[in-house]
Amino acid sequence: MTDKETQMITEKRVDIQVNGQACEITVPAWRTLLEVLRELGHKEVKCGCEKGDCGACAVLLDGKVVDSCLTLAWNAAGRSVTTVQGLGGPDNPHPLQTAFIEHGSAQCGYCTPGMIMAAKALLDDIPEPSLKDIKRGLSGNLCRCTGYTRIFSAIQAAAETLRQQETTS
Amino acid sequence: MLPPFELLEPHSLDQALKMLATSESVPLAGGTNLLPDLRARGEAGGRFISLAALDQLHGIEHSDSRVLMGARTTLSDILHDPLMPTAAPSLVSMAKVFAGSMVRNAATVAGNICYGSPSADVVPPLLSLDAELTLASAAGERTLSLNDFLLDYKKTARRPDELLISVSWAPPTTGTANLFYKLGRRRGDAITVVGVAVTITIEKGNCTKARIALGSVAPTVFRAQEAEEALVGGPLTATTIGTAAQAAAQASRPIDDIRASADYRRHAVHMLVRRLLTEAWQTAGSQHD
Amino acid sequence: MNRIESPAASTANLQLRQVGKPLVRTDSPTKVYGTAVYAGDLTMPGMLCAAVLHSDRASALLRHVDTSRAEALAGVHCVLTAADLPPSQGVMTDMPGQTGGLTKNTKQPILAKDRVRFCGEPIALVAAENAAIAEQALRLIDIEYEDLDGIYDPFDALAPGAPIIFGDDNVVASYKVRKGDIEKGFAEADFIVENTFTTQYQEQAFLEPEAALAWVDEHEVLNIRSSTQVVEHYRAVADAIGLPHNRVRLRAEFVGGGFGGKEVMTIEVWLALLALASRRPVQLVQPRERSFLSHGPRHPFTMTHRTGVSGDGKITALQIKLTSDAGAYAKLSPYILLYATVGATGPYRVDNLHIDSVSAATNNLPACAFRGFGTMQANLACEGQMEEIAKLLGMDSMEVRRRNFIHTGDANVTGQIIRSAVWSDQCATQALATLGERPTDTQTTRIGHGVACYQQSYGRIRWMKDSSEAWVGVEMDGTVIVRSAVTDIGAGQSSALAQITGEILGVPMDQVVVYFGDGAVTPLAGTSTASRALYMSGNATKMAASQVRKNLLSCVAGYFGVKIEQLDMCDSQVFIIDDPQRSIALKDCVKLCAAEGVHRHNLAIFRAPTSEGIDPETGQGEVFPDFTYGAHAAQVAVDIETGEVKVLKSIGAHDVGQAINLRAVEGQVEGSALMGQGFALCEELILKQGRLQTGSLSEYLIPTSEDVPEIKAIVLESRSGLGPFGAKGIGEPVYAPVAASIANAVADAIGVHIFELPITPEKVIKALREKESTK
Repeated sequence: MTDKETQMITEKRVDIQVNGQACEITVPAWRTLLEVLRELGHKEVKCGCEKGDCGACAVLLDGKVVDSCLTLAWNAAGRSVTTVQGLGGPDNPHPLQTAFIEHGSAQCGYCTPGMIMAAKALLDDIPEPSLKDIKRGLSGNLCRCTGYTRIFSAIQAAAETLRQQETTS
Repeated sequence: MLPPFELLEPHSLDQALKMLATSESVPLAGGTNLLPDLRARGEAGGRFISLAALDQLHGIEHSDSRVLMGARTTLSDILHDPLMPTAAPSLVSMAKVFAGSMVRNAATVAGNICYGSPSADVVPPLLSLDAELTLASAAGERTLSLNDFLLDYKKTARRPDELLISVSWAPPTTGTANLFYKLGRRRGDAITVVGVAVTITIEKGNCTKARIALGSVAPTVFRAQEAEEALVGGPLTATTIGTAAQAAAQASRPIDDIRASADYRRHAVHMLVRRLLTEAWQTAGSQHD
Repeated sequence: MNRIESPAASTANLQLRQVGKPLVRTDSPTKVYGTAVYAGDLTMPGMLCAAVLHSDRASALLRHVDTSRAEALAGVHCVLTAADLPPSQGVMTDMPGQTGGLTKNTKQPILAKDRVRFCGEPIALVAAENAAIAEQALRLIDIEYEDLDGIYDPFDALAPGAPIIFGDDNVVASYKVRKGDIEKGFAEADFIVENTFTTQYQEQAFLEPEAALAWVDEHEVLNIRSSTQVVEHYRAVADAIGLPHNRVRLRAEFVGGGFGGKEVMTIEVWLALLALASRRPVQLVQPRERSFLSHGPRHPFTMTHRTGVSGDGKITALQIKLTSDAGAYAKLSPYILLYATVGATGPYRVDNLHIDSVSAATNNLPACAFRGFGTMQANLACEGQMEEIAKLLGMDSMEVRRRNFIHTGDANVTGQIIRSAVWSDQCATQALATLGERPTDTQTTRIGHGVACYQQSYGRIRWMKDSSEAWVGVEMDGTVIVRSAVTDIGAGQSSALAQITGEILGVPMDQVVVYFGDGAVTPLAGTSTASRALYMSGNATKMAASQVRKNLLSCVAGYFGVKIEQLDMCDSQVFIIDDPQRSIALKDCVKLCAAEGVHRHNLAIFRAPTSEGIDPETGQGEVFPDFTYGAHAAQVAVDIETGEVKVLKSIGAHDVGQAINLRAVEGQVEGSALMGQGFALCEELILKQGRLQTGSLSEYLIPTSEDVPEIKAIVLESRSGLGPFGAKGIGEPVYAPVAASIANAVADAIGVHIFELPITPEKVIKALREKESTK
């Protein structure tokens, strides 16, 4: 590397909560949250374009859905990240996950982790979304296999489940 | 992968302005334009000033006479603001079709304006509302109109030591319609082929104010002022609307690119301006009925 | 419904309990929980990162490639160029996974040597400690080019005196079909309709860019774990780098979308070279921009139909010219052209027929396999022509179709007799009916309805002599294992095998484990291409499972003192059909077999029907095992002021033979509806002098959630296919008619056909203006 480049390598310690677990990393400014999460072993966060076109890397940052490829790791300092694995798993599936499985909403599955996180943010924002709301909420998440229709129906089903959980709890 | 760069992280506006004054650096807000550009260029060595910690740039304030929007307001903030549908209808229409959720959560109004792209979707609505910008530097603040801010392709009136800190405008009065339409090559998350925002104010059956702002059809987003002038002073008729739409198309200086030809863009300006003016005339007129 | 069944004796009593049902695919949970592993997710200790330098010139001599600065960079382990490879270097790009039949032996340089022929051709490979260093190294490679004139249009390439791109001339392949008496047919015609249709490059745009990891293991076996549709590439890797076939092991991970783009090998051989050179594990994940350069997009086609038609709508003669742009290397262009040729008359019987097709080399991106494989382009022209004929005759276009549909027992383009069901009419009628009433036009919008039918093959070209193997076994605890090297590219390939096996052995499918995609330890199943994976590996799996069933039942029959035919299997039990209380658990049944030394497993091979090729002068002969038929219908709204087209409804109706997993079948129909819509309206790889102008997902626009119309899948089952339980292949067929139906709907809406895809707002406006000016 040139002298100019070596001079500005200023690394910084960054504390991030990932799926409830405290992680401490030391990275330079230009490392993205996507890169850091994958280096931490969170391979469920997928990389599809590295420029915010596809949404495969979507995660929740303090509850808001972001493209982790366009989020600098430094800007995630002190904040909480949720990936699809943090949402639930086989023992404690989130209603969105159950619905995605039951509706056959994943084909190749590569867009699925980001898609589910965008759907989670959508339902947090609009608990009873119309089809129009769902389409708008997912327009940054590309899927090439499904035609999105089963993704829409899964989100509608999950919204219904969440509503029922709300009323019974 | 991003090339190496330096990131300064001021904790206050004063500190940020000092950094801007003393170091060659570029303000970095949502990063949705700058980071892909950096990645595409692949050149190491830039210096950025992160606006992430500058809380005073957040927030939208509404008063009867003015809407004041902090520069770090995101596209999502616009959609979540309950008063915005009346304070800036065109801005809300725009935000709904701006990129996808993740980018809407990151991209800021100021970033979109300062990037200076002719396809910056935030700009036509704000131009149609006569928005003003407040720029701050270590030397002080100044306010200028958005119209004066846009100079040329990716060139604005912002000096390197200045930071855009807020955007303000007067909310539309009764009898005003404010509309936006984005024509893209697909419906979701697309770069704009033609963007049109119009504002029409009607008093006693006459058009008293007209604004037509056009995106992606010239080196900058611009106002078709000749077209606007053709509308003011009387009722809007098919003839006056047609004349204005024609003038707007003529004022456009589009290019051929991968999305559309210049000819088509001019045609689309004509059609969309006509359509939006017609709709605006009906909407604004009906507010008095 | 027309059901044709001939079940094997061992499955004579089988009532379908799982097959045909909309069940949860076995791969769904892992994908939804985010635990599914893709090739780019793998890591190994000491793993290096690779990066590839692609040419930024379309046609140039490589005067000098200097890697010394890159090699000197700290952290760089190796830099490879053509100079590091043997002079004969090249990778086979002929029919992947090919075993039985002849190959054309098309080779492409692994790395460009003296000349680059397209913008994006690989020139150098780097392996470094991390991705950042690898990228930095690429920038330190100095290349001296000497630009040459390039050819960027297939018609220019075919003109006399054109510079030769490779080989003896620029004809990559050509075919002729001569059938009946075309002069007589045109003489009998009341009308002659001639039109030329063109299609654009289409990019697969799978969400997962190319990714693979390679290393040499402790047994000196070169291992590659990759995102590929074809594990049989291990042979081509071995041949390319001079290793014996048994020293290369290729495993396919879950593939994040293939669509044909991960069919011909690219990055595996690069990684093989880097792993051998560095003696370290090396991973490559192509950045999106380079992914666009790493596989071949769909071929642009120019297609002219000259159709003679009688007053009552019967085709009396048809003359077709097809020209495709192969780009700078042959890859699969000859085969794709063959598919286009066979598909050129769609699902119609044409007795007097001339087809001349040619694929030309240019300095554009080499085009290659993409869902539909030439057939869908050819079908688009055919179905557009149907509308134009109907318009001329003043007939309903469905009526014109009905008068010309091919039927079971008829000979197709190449004289092959169609033996399975042809339900084109039923499918089209249902699809159109499902569109329902037309909304009324407004002042600025016009509504249009369009339909398109098709004939698309499934299974490989017969002279490839395709086969597929599968292993099925029952463990001592009654659990079931399937072993098949089929690749799982997202359509539920492995899940289908679990479902078929579960059906035959009476075990819930989610309790069947399928080991798939390993070229070394799972029986080779052939490629997940050509809509053949279910057809071939499904049949092999069904054969193996049926044999295991037979073995198990013979033991139980002895135990109960009944005949095999009196027994059935369900819920991991074997029971007497007429006396279900008398049953034995599968695990106990397995013990019986073990005690008697009876096999609890079976390795089966399924062979597809074969032929020896077609007559080069007439094009006659059997080309494919069988064909799928169906239709797609679309309702569109066209904004006549801006030219914007909005698809409102998109309905696919297909005779799938037998759905294995109904939900997965519907998923294929729905996905193809949107992908076809993209091809019809917004997707276009634009090249300028060979240079890609749309090399990212913000410039190359695939449909988003906001673009989704009301999509519906109608599944018909003739049970007449060659696949398991009478299934037909569907992955490509369901895609074949979509774009044509939308193009036809737009034509219906605005009263003028747009012959050039994609139908952009601009082209709509141009067409409307021309229509206006000819009034």
